[in-house]
Amino acid sequence: MTATTQRPTPPRGARERRGALAVVLVVAMVWSLSGLEVTLDRLLGAPGDAWAILRQMVPPAFARVYERGAVGKVFESVYIAWIGTVIGAVLSLPLAFMAAHNVAPVWIRVPIRQFFNAIRAVPELILAVILIPITGLGPWAGTLAIGIHSIGTLGKWATESIESIDSGPIEAVESTGGRWVSSMRWAVFPQVMSTISSYWLFRFEINVRASAVLGMIGAGGVGSELVSHLVFRDFPAASAVLVFTIAVVLTIDTASAAVRRRIIRGGVGRPDEPSRSGEALADLTGIRL
Amino acid sequence: MIAFSLFAAREVGFDPSTFWEVWSNPLWEKFWPIPWDWVTDGSNVMGPLIETFQIATISTILGCSLALPVSFAMSSLTTPNRPTYLVSRAVMNVVRAVPDLFWAKLMVTAVGIGAFAGSWALTIFSLAVMVKLFSETVDGADPGPLEAARAAGGRHTPSVRTGMLPTVFPDYVAHALYVFELNIRASIVLGLVGAGGIGRVIEAQRQFFRFDRILGMLVIIFVVVFMIEQASVALRKRLV
Repeated sequence: MTATTQRPTPPRGARERRGALAVVLVVAMVWSLSGLEVTLDRLLGAPGDAWAILRQMVPPAFARVYERGAVGKVFESVYIAWIGTVIGAVLSLPLAFMAAHNVAPVWIRVPIRQFFNAIRAVPELILAVILIPITGLGPWAGTLAIGIHSIGTLGKWATESIESIDSGPIEAVESTGGRWVSSMRWAVFPQVMSTISSYWLFRFEINVRASAVLGMIGAGGVGSELVSHLVFRDFPAASAVLVFTIAVVLTIDTASAAVRRRIIRGGVGRPDEPSRSGEALADLTGIRL
Repeated sequence: MIAFSLFAAREVGFDPSTFWEVWSNPLWEKFWPIPWDWVTDGSNVMGPLIETFQIATISTILGCSLALPVSFAMSSLTTPNRPTYLVSRAVMNVVRAVPDLFWAKLMVTAVGIGAFAGSWALTIFSLAVMVKLFSETVDGADPGPLEAARAAGGRHTPSVRTGMLPTVFPDYVAHALYVFELNIRASIVLGLVGAGGIGRVIEAQRQFFRFDRILGMLVIIFVVVFMIEQASVALRKRLV
């Protein structure tokens, strides 16, 4: 029994890899710190500065901010997000049918996919920067920015869900002599609509956050309130605005997540849940891997 | 739902005619031609762009390091005790509900304009995203090794270190790379609220209505961001 005296050898290269990772991390940290004008007393002073502001933020000046109409501004953000989502949904749905590889010919599929990619590459804020001088300051600029950006993501998700359908119903429609439009309507549409509508809701959740941010550069919504209070160092008011925003964002997230779960699972909990981290990743960021 | 849409559309000033009017706006002429010599001049675009990536890098490293213990506290499998679990979940949910640029603006107010504030904001943002992703991974991980370590009499921290961490570490690195991609994108717009990076240049050129320069900048940004993302995605695919 010589085999038992032989100890297992650790996998080759594990130690080296760990060392390389550590070196990379340290180099990356030093490199990035070099560009950020960080001094030791700034670094040590920052938590103190943040704490000083946090202390002034309590208690939040709810009544004053409410009278200024901040709650209305929060809801304006929600409206912007909703209409932006509607614009994105309406425009992306037909495009998605033309971009899926199982239902569309290659000459139309490729340009539309590139169109989706190009849109997704531009952040909403940059779109709003470009749109504001054209539409003027206000919620419409933000709505358009969110709507355009949503076309990219919603189109990509819808395309992916169309590509993952069962091809049986399409063949059935085609064998009865149906044309492209009828096979889309009667074979593809019923299969994908539940998934796609849950994507719309999910995009709406993301858009609520995005539209709150858009206000900071003047594209309507609650961001402008926060910025103006912070600029005047009116911290109780700023924290009240923050609390209103957080409350609305959390409420919408929770409600929408519940509805989405219901759409996808048909109201009954299934024991074989999909990968939770994948779902969480998508929940949070809007990017499905 | 249709009623709500109509109401909301009125509130935001929905105006379908702008879809057509937008194209005839004289401002579009300001986007062209792109002044390539200005864009490719190192100090105009590349300098701030590098600052942007420095912000993203440091915030990813700090945020993800902090996220490791917090995520373990936030998962029911590995939490040391019930109060820690509940408190960390509640705090992180609130932190996550605040959009990233709100953090940026708060930090600019707290520590002053510049990349330093941006790094703080993105660190908080990375922490919030990372704990969400990673604690869910830990929730879904195989509890067997952890139970074995506990059954052998291991104390809490060593049990988690040897019974859970090796199982989920590849996911941790993959999530961290993903957070890095998010941070790269977020750091581009940070400058619009004064938190450093390339956004500062965009904001400045916007005030001069130099949209041609903005367009040129965007082209450079997207080429560079695209390359970084492709590298990160390729790395992530190998990990999980």
